[in-house]
Amino acid sequence: MGIAERAGFLVSWRSFSVLVPVLCGFGAVLISNLPLSLTNGLIPAPLLGLAPIYFWCLVRPDLMTPAAVFAIGVLEDIMAGGPPGVWTLSFVITYAVIERQRDAFAGLPGLGAVLGFATAALITCASAYFIIALYYWHIPLLAPIVAELAMTVAFYIPAAYVIGVIHRRLVGPLRSEP
Amino acid sequence: MANVSWKIARRTNAQLPLVIVMALAVVLVLLGKAQSGLFDRARMTFTDWTQPLLAVAHAPLVQFDRWVGSVDEVFTVYQENLRLKDENARLRQWRNVAVVMQDRVGRYQSLLHAVPDPGLNSVLARVIGRASRPFLETMILGAGSSNNIKPGQAVVDARGMIGRIYLAGSRTSWVILLTDLNSRIPVSVAPGNRQAIMVGDNTSMPSLDTLSQIVTLRAGDQVVSSGDGGLLPPGLPIGTVVEQGGKYRVALLADAGTSEDVEVLAFRKPPEQPPAVSQLPAVAAGLPPATATPSVSASVVAPKPATPAPIVKAPVAPQPSPADQADEDR
Repeated sequence: MGIAERAGFLVSWRSFSVLVPVLCGFGAVLISNLPLSLTNGLIPAPLLGLAPIYFWCLVRPDLMTPAAVFAIGVLEDIMAGGPPGVWTLSFVITYAVIERQRDAFAGLPGLGAVLGFATAALITCASAYFIIALYYWHIPLLAPIVAELAMTVAFYIPAAYVIGVIHRRLVGPLRSEP
Repeated sequence: MANVSWKIARRTNAQLPLVIVMALAVVLVLLGKAQSGLFDRARMTFTDWTQPLLAVAHAPLVQFDRWVGSVDEVFTVYQENLRLKDENARLRQWRNVAVVMQDRVGRYQSLLHAVPDPGLNSVLARVIGRASRPFLETMILGAGSSNNIKPGQAVVDARGMIGRIYLAGSRTSWVILLTDLNSRIPVSVAPGNRQAIMVGDNTSMPSLDTLSQIVTLRAGDQVVSSGDGGLLPPGLPIGTVVEQGGKYRVALLADAGTSEDVEVLAFRKPPEQPPAVSQLPAVAAGLPPATATPSVSASVVAPKPATPAPIVKAPVAPQPSPADQADEDR
């Protein structure tokens, strides 16, 4: 492979790596919204789309831009089937909070990282809950959103592992920050 | 977790886009409030597209559910068998009673020249997916508009009503369950034919809002669809009234979580025909029928208030028309 060819390949690969976080977000949303349940709908599906947002907002915010968060939120709204815009706005609010408190969230080790994500998920679920309450002008039940929050936090550890592998293999080597 | 192992990138200077994106998200919510079906087309297209995958992936899940559900039944199979035999014997008796009553009602209807109930066509559809989200409880059927399924149609299983069709794609359709936050169904509570609205709130038992403050319900009363509004057929079994914390709720007969094959009822209320001239109240009371003024269109004439007109002459004995006379002779 010549130098020019190699440079072209690197440029195209770099362009792809920019899209990896967003594509991961889309994939997570699609997986979590598959209408298949082992528990006959007893346990809600986790908000898997939040994990890539949280992860790359802390690790590489240049790859998880507000526009990307907006796009992931819109897909979540399309797939989840609820009132339009609820998850989009919730994700954007969460992103805004994480982005502002990034130094505090990014340095959390071990269990602290899970608690950090739990805080982010709490912000998302609380935002969605209050938007829905305003939307219908009616206080919805708390139990379903609490169950959603618990499932989202419980699924963060495997989700973070998969995202970490993707980051190491696809994103990390080619787009290191100076 | 993984946060410490990564080299943390520098903070981006993305405050302005964030503000714009947040404003866009708020606009999206407001747009969604104004037009709730904003994403329906995209959602249906995706569901139609993934229908074969869902149908294939759902089958092993059903088997798994059956296997898990049957594990605890092994220990109670003898008692369950006795109970079912007893229930079957009682149901056979009730079936005989129902057949006799159905025959009797049919004869009374023919004697009274009652308007027959509109016929119901139905489509049998297989459940290929279920979605339980905090603000939406739905199931997805493997039949759509190509099978004459339309939004608004009732979905029932062998036990009772499950919900209504919410979106209909070409090969799939989404059902909004009776328990969903968005579900509102006009129902009738028997005995007494008391009208109410059954409101879903994402619990397993929807609540009942009675239309009258003086109506009192009792636990065990039967809840059926009232047919008000003409969207749903009247008399669909829904559940029984239970009292919970001073509020009336409905214990649903159908279990949407275990239904595998459901019926979608194509109900179309026939358009109401205006009564014949001879059946108008004025004619029946012996008064001449009202005639429309030729210069004013009937469609723009507002109905007159129900104040009685002053009597200017003595009432005249009614003169039956030849047609009415012939009806009476018959």
